[in-house]
Amino acid sequence: MTSRITRTSILVFFGLVWLLPVYLLVINANKSPQAYNSNESWIPSGTSLISNMVNAWRLSNLGDSVLSSLIYSIVSPLIAVLVGAAVGFAIVALRMKHGFWWFVFVFGGTVFPLQMVLLPLFDGYSRMGLFDTHTGMIIVYTAISIPFSAFVMRNFFTGIAHSVFEAAVIDGASTWWIFLRVYLPMAVSALVAIFILQATFIWNDLLLGLTLSQSDNVRPVVTTLSGMQSTYGGAQLSTVLAAGILVSLPTVTLFMFTQKFFSRGLALGQY
Amino acid sequence: MTVKKDHYRWAARSFVAPGVLLVAVVLYLPLLWTVFLSFTSYDGLSSPKWIGAANYLQMFQDPDFLNSMSNTLLWVVGTLVVPVGLGLVLALLTFNLKGGVWLRLPFLIPYGISGIGVGLIWSFVLQNNGALDQALHFFGVVDNPRWLLDAPLNTVVMIVAAAWQGVGVNALLFSIGLQSIPKEPLEAARLDGARGFRLFGSILWPMLRPLTTVVIGLSIVASLKTFDIVLGMTKGGPGRVSETLALTMYKDTFVNSQYGLGSAIAVFLTVVTLLAAILYLREQLSKKNEF
Repeated sequence: MTSRITRTSILVFFGLVWLLPVYLLVINANKSPQAYNSNESWIPSGTSLISNMVNAWRLSNLGDSVLSSLIYSIVSPLIAVLVGAAVGFAIVALRMKHGFWWFVFVFGGTVFPLQMVLLPLFDGYSRMGLFDTHTGMIIVYTAISIPFSAFVMRNFFTGIAHSVFEAAVIDGASTWWIFLRVYLPMAVSALVAIFILQATFIWNDLLLGLTLSQSDNVRPVVTTLSGMQSTYGGAQLSTVLAAGILVSLPTVTLFMFTQKFFSRGLALGQY
Repeated sequence: MTVKKDHYRWAARSFVAPGVLLVAVVLYLPLLWTVFLSFTSYDGLSSPKWIGAANYLQMFQDPDFLNSMSNTLLWVVGTLVVPVGLGLVLALLTFNLKGGVWLRLPFLIPYGISGIGVGLIWSFVLQNNGALDQALHFFGVVDNPRWLLDAPLNTVVMIVAAAWQGVGVNALLFSIGLQSIPKEPLEAARLDGARGFRLFGSILWPMLRPLTTVVIGLSIVASLKTFDIVLGMTKGGPGRVSETLALTMYKDTFVNSQYGLGSAIAVFLTVVTLLAAILYLREQLSKKNEF
């Protein structure tokens, strides 16, 4: 079929165009800062990618930020997934009275822009000693991950026949037991999907990091990258580009390997 | 056995409590406080003074705000045309295509990159005498515009960067939609000789409509919040010419310490976002409001 060949060649052509910025990023991050020539952006030279990354790791204490972001993007989604599942469980399995409105309340937390909470959070965090702390960052990242998690889990649990719950009740199981031993194990795929989506979102967050943290060892990694760009952009461009790769690699890799989860998560109603 | 409604009242409450409390304290409480602050004069040190709608009046007379508003509008329109339109085209091109999953991969890579990462790459490409200018020189074009310095061109090129990042995920969403279309009407239409645009117009497009509404709603809401890419590429400059509402709010609040004005911008942005969100929320909730 000719249209098949045409379609494939169009896709290959645009695919290559799409990869050009990535090509430029990689070859220029690979150049040694000493031999860097800003007029030869398209020509690969040097083999300094690793040493540039090592320098970037030290610059602005990027290493500390990587560690912080790792903590945020593991701990917060983990809590959010469980809390969101509990909300879904109460509404669907326990048939909570006015459950739909409780759901709307929780889900509504994701609708408005973050700008709406920044200043009071900054103000409140400063007064309560949560500003520029790991705890503060974990709390805020957890809270913003809950609405989406509750949304997906409610949808997921709706697909489980209520007779499953009733049978467990007849067997004398408590609600907590049913939640932890019956419903959660059935929902592993959805839980993992939410976890991955939220981890990616938190890793890539800039705004909350910019507003609620300050010191090198609390600041998340994208916020640090943003700072590096303005501080070292001219003189050590190849190092900053290497930092960009370092920061992007985990989420890009995760996204590539878990496309299935992502598409399933999206089909379940991400955002 | 039938479980009576409300039999598990207290159990249910204990299950929703953590979620409801966290969302209430970390999101809703600050939200209400921002609404209050938008009617006050506040610098973070002394207590807020009630000044009525003065912040809003000041906001709508502020040329920086109005410029930021028109930039944001450009973002909304731009991200509808480019990433959503192109996403649909990509999904159609890969639909039922052998190896389509692999061919979609280059478009998905940028989605994993943060806004700042995307900004870093593209400001490198677009800077004066950067990669793009060098390529154009090579092909004999010498009189290049200053991509990131002239408005509104800088907003346009930033929309291109955002499209580069976002097109893959829209393609993925549309692909899911296309795959969920039942095979029978498609086959019937094919047997009747429908091909290409006819097949698209009479079968695919009507069946994709609900999903398209969702993708458009998501795209509008996301573009209204545009912040990272602009901060990463122009910092809203030169001066304040390429700011978006989200960035203007941030700068007025945290750089200029005009807390009341910043809050008023946040409220305005939220009202506009909510209006757009209704577009896709209606679609999302109407399908599943059986409780």
